[in-house]
Amino acid sequence: MMQENIKTLEYDVLVVGGGIAGGESALNLANLGYKVLLVEKELSIGGKMILLSKVFPTLDCAACITTPKVSEIARHPNITVFTGAEPLKISKKGEHKFDALVLQKPRYVDVDACTGCQLCEEACPVSVSDEYQYGLVGRKAAYIPFSIASPRAAAIDIESCILCGACEKVCPPNCIDFTQTEIKYLVKIKSVITATGFKLFDPLKIPRYGYEKYKNVITSMQMERELAPTRPFNTVLRPGDGKMPDNIAYVLCTGSRDKSVGNPICSQICCMYSIKQAQLLMGALPMADVTIYYLHIRAFGKGFNEFYGQAQDMGVEFMKGKVGKITEKENGNLILRYEDIEAGVVKEAEHDMVVLSVGILPNLGMEEVFDNERLKLDPFNFIDQADILASPAKTSIEGVFVSGTASGPMDIPDSILSGGAASAEATSYLRKENTI
Amino acid sequence: MARINPDFTEELRDYGAFDPNACYNCGNCTAVCTLSDEDNSFPRTMVRVSVLGLEDEIKSSLDPWLCYYCGECSTTCPREADPGELMMSLRRYLIAKYDWTGLSGLLYKSLTASIIAFLGLAALVIWFGYSESFNLEVIMPQGHLFEMLAIGSVFTIILLPNIIHMWWLSMYKPGVKASIGLYFKALGDLIVHMFTQKRTLGCDDNQFRWFEHFILVLGYLSLLFTTVFLNWFETHNLFIIILGYVESAIIFVVTFDFVKSRIQKNKEISKHSQPSDWLFVIWLLLMGLTAFIVRLFIDLDVLENNSWMYFVHLIVLVQWSLIIVPFGKWSHFLYRSFAMYFQKIKELAV
Repeated sequence: MMQENIKTLEYDVLVVGGGIAGGESALNLANLGYKVLLVEKELSIGGKMILLSKVFPTLDCAACITTPKVSEIARHPNITVFTGAEPLKISKKGEHKFDALVLQKPRYVDVDACTGCQLCEEACPVSVSDEYQYGLVGRKAAYIPFSIASPRAAAIDIESCILCGACEKVCPPNCIDFTQTEIKYLVKIKSVITATGFKLFDPLKIPRYGYEKYKNVITSMQMERELAPTRPFNTVLRPGDGKMPDNIAYVLCTGSRDKSVGNPICSQICCMYSIKQAQLLMGALPMADVTIYYLHIRAFGKGFNEFYGQAQDMGVEFMKGKVGKITEKENGNLILRYEDIEAGVVKEAEHDMVVLSVGILPNLGMEEVFDNERLKLDPFNFIDQADILASPAKTSIEGVFVSGTASGPMDIPDSILSGGAASAEATSYLRKENTI
Repeated sequence: MARINPDFTEELRDYGAFDPNACYNCGNCTAVCTLSDEDNSFPRTMVRVSVLGLEDEIKSSLDPWLCYYCGECSTTCPREADPGELMMSLRRYLIAKYDWTGLSGLLYKSLTASIIAFLGLAALVIWFGYSESFNLEVIMPQGHLFEMLAIGSVFTIILLPNIIHMWWLSMYKPGVKASIGLYFKALGDLIVHMFTQKRTLGCDDNQFRWFEHFILVLGYLSLLFTTVFLNWFETHNLFIIILGYVESAIIFVVTFDFVKSRIQKNKEISKHSQPSDWLFVIWLLLMGLTAFIVRLFIDLDVLENNSWMYFVHLIVLVQWSLIIVPFGKWSHFLYRSFAMYFQKIKELAV
């Protein structure tokens, strides 16, 4: 144990996760005057929302909502943001007393000095798959995560880097620094908000859908990237041969409500984001047919059912029946086999592109970070809400609150509401300290 | 107007069905089934009619017989409702409904009744042996006579009326209009399905199982022929003796593999075993094995001093031919072939 590298910091609240929910919680607390440390494991804050195209049911641009919030978080005098960082251990020392051990992984770039000029990207000879574009295109080993990232600074992917030094040579402010090492901080805080979000279902677990085997079968997140303003191809293309698709299928409940893959619950967003994408596709490719294969359409939120009706009016076809299997034709088109439930007859349909509407799974890990108290999980491994009706942000540990999809599947408006609730409950917890 | 019967699934559970009420009607089972097609889309429709308890629809349906239980629907069912086992249970249910004596249903539902029937017949055979002072000279020809009588009477008294009943439920009652000519035209299908079960090959992963099943059926039918019409136990013809050895060995080797996979439960089809399934495979194994040993004892000239061996064989034979063939799983073979036949006629009639 090298105790001497651990620096001590002090804040009021530690927010784990810099997505839209964690960001909302951090902003509310900062505006009330609390000092907040926001720890994000990715290289940019903004979570999954900053990568989306538009939001349902208003069709507002997702980036146009997220980027101003992200800028506000980044510039707020009461918020410190650590990207590429994660809490290793959080110990409760008493009420309003937590010690967190936070690991800052090296980015190999001096973020304050980097101007985001992208010359390092041009110079870097290494190409790898771009995780922020969900594998649709490649990126360099020296790269800016994505165009609207915050901080908009380069990073070195040291796993892929060949240490040739080409980026160092071209960098105008000389901000690339291969001598950076891991830094550990001991952070003293009074309260914790966990906003660790969700992960997407991996469709490789359903081999009969042929994801990765058939190139024109993509996930909804990949389609989201194809539709976003900062999209890689500047249009919608199918990955197999770059053809513009004109007959697209959506397979709902891929990895949701499916005991055979271990996730029996509804992901709550797939129906609506698929309907949203279908409407956007109608705009992007006016001649294209879009068919949504569904089990039940769950359009439960404000304006959702009208939005569903709008998609039907626009000509999106809704077919009740779960897709059983997908096979590929020689020309890259796909044959979907399903039962038309209304007719009670098994049918096959050909589409030139298939989008798997993948579900939401819990992002495990936070329960292991708390070392002397147990952060309880619910039966589906999301963070358990100790008092779901009266105080939805409370967890099994007093002073630790949950924000957004860390507590279960929910859409963006609900995540922001949940982020607000977590900050309000954290505030009342912090206020109690002063009244004692 | 159909009347729904929510209690029906409780009755079906006696035949082994898992939990059809878990089904949320997504149709995944039908879509993954390689045997399902536009004319016969199953198993979801069968799950649906079972949940609703539409007994008339079930009794008139041939779909349960078109399934060969590869188990794909059950392994991929999002609700773990086990549609494959439901189809199997519906086949047991249908066997019980076709059977005019009602004994099939009793034996399927009650293990006690099965045990009593098996023990009763065993006692009868031993009593008969005792009354003839266990003299094989007298008893073996009697056993041979029994085989011939059993085949004839089981077929005419039980199986033939049941097939007519099946025809009445699935063809006549639903009003299928087919001329006599079509019944002749489709006859080829009946023969082909009965002897090859070639439809199994439509299942994705069933090639080896089909082969095992195919040689088992051939082995069984030819052993039946060899013992009954060529009088295997009393013949001196070397060719027939060897033929019988080969046939009985095929039976116990293949059934040994079936029993093994039912114990290991490594395939979807062998995960759920009802008493009727165990009785079927074990008794078939015993049939092959005891026949083999009896002939071996004859050839080694030790049967005289070990007449008990023949009685073991005779007990198994009597139980097999009077319980399992007419009322148990054996009748699958017959009903399934006739279901294909009737289905073909239905298709031709449209």
